[in-house]
Amino acid sequence: MSVTAPLIDPRLPVARADDAREPISPQDYAKFCDFFYRKTGIMFGANKAYFAERRLQDRIAATGHAGFRDYFTMLRFEIGGTEMQQLVNAMTINETYFYREDYQFDALVRHVLPGIAAERAPGTPIRIWSLPCSTGEEPYSIAMQILEHWSQADRYDIEILASDIDSRALADARAGVYGERALHRLPPALKQRYFTPYGDGYRICDALRGSIDFTQVNVADAATMRRYRDIDVIFCRNMLIYFDEVSRRQAVETLYDSLRPGGVICLGHSESMSRMSSLFAPCRFGTTILYQRPVDHD
Amino acid sequence: MALIEARRAAPQAAAEATPPTLDTLVAQLGSPVASERRAAVRALDAHEDGIPALCDRVAAEVAPSVCEAIMAALVRRASAAVVAALLPLLRDGTPVQRNAALEALAVMPEHVAPHVAALLRDPDSDVRIFTANLLSVLPHPKAAAWLVEALADPHANVCAAAVDGLAEIGDARALPVLAALPARFPDDSFIAFAVQLASQRIGQ
Repeated sequence: MSVTAPLIDPRLPVARADDAREPISPQDYAKFCDFFYRKTGIMFGANKAYFAERRLQDRIAATGHAGFRDYFTMLRFEIGGTEMQQLVNAMTINETYFYREDYQFDALVRHVLPGIAAERAPGTPIRIWSLPCSTGEEPYSIAMQILEHWSQADRYDIEILASDIDSRALADARAGVYGERALHRLPPALKQRYFTPYGDGYRICDALRGSIDFTQVNVADAATMRRYRDIDVIFCRNMLIYFDEVSRRQAVETLYDSLRPGGVICLGHSESMSRMSSLFAPCRFGTTILYQRPVDHD
Repeated sequence: MALIEARRAAPQAAAEATPPTLDTLVAQLGSPVASERRAAVRALDAHEDGIPALCDRVAAEVAPSVCEAIMAALVRRASAAVVAALLPLLRDGTPVQRNAALEALAVMPEHVAPHVAALLRDPDSDVRIFTANLLSVLPHPKAAAWLVEALADPHANVCAAAVDGLAEIGDARALPVLAALPARFPDDSFIAFAVQLASQRIGQ
């Protein structure tokens, strides 16, 4: 299985000569990498070793441990995984912007949607769910990608749902106002077509704002999640990695129930469903791997 | 436009009939249709008294999507009874059931601990190997000590599994026991290699 390294913040402080941090031996670092990979599926390549080690040292210091061994013992034996979660947060950087990891949007319009259309009559709905949608960059990117690059879009009723647990993020998403940085990967033509200058930034056009169904959802709330059914495609990127084992299992079960048989789920580049559950079948769509709810699982 | 206008409201739950009774859900666990059994599992997971029925079902269920749902429910409701229902799968379960049981047991350390000594003495060497695998990932303060105990096992593969575990979680107390192991299996080059690697990892 191929697992890529997570984004590591390159703005981390550079070690100073008077840095009092306890160095981590190569053996201990290897031990940590094995453990972290098994727990999260994230593997640190040699080019990330310095940053990963710095983050690890930060957590050792933040938790008041004398050194790696004490910290690692605590990490392994803690019940509930609170520090493990802190460590995952420290090792990964979640940054959202338009067209982030856009190869998955490309797979959506080149392979996934045509596959759905081949088996579904024109005029029927196709449901896509962005979860968590944060401040809206992902669902708006999906909408733009479909309008720009799927020639059959006009033949279907495409419903884009977007949910997050954070009500403030949802309010920002509905407002649709973004700074320059959020748009840095957008081709100029798309920026011109779908955005208008607004204060120091840009506002997404009303047509797109009106086409995304933003709702507040807690994935752990089974009763709320039962309302989401017959979804064709779920974008669930960089969420499950932040859950502990028990919560992750529950979330995966719930997402499976939300998908229509044959529907697919897109995870973040450092996530692998195969490490979490055998419910889904990994399927190649062009150059990306998505996870499909089998049509006839059993 | 191809994109339909948002409803601006969360999807409403479909009007639900009277919730099925516990007896109905338990009966549904015997349905020949896997999707119906999975629905019953999900409903029993949400039912206050649903877990015993899932414990009773776990060994008999073979459909992967139903097994996964049962395991997710049991993990969430970890208890001595749940562990008692899962342990037989290490011996008698299908590979899918066994691996699922191992993953589930790994997040129930306090309930697994009372069973470890017996598991390490199990007459079935496969069960002892699986136990060593489990201990390697069990977040319990005695896990490394139990793995050191497992090094006394007469079966080379049990010892090898314990060595693998100690490479990750062992400490200096394991080193002398590890050092003595290759002499017990002089013809087994893997044991010598694994011990050398584990000792380096623990080392310093």
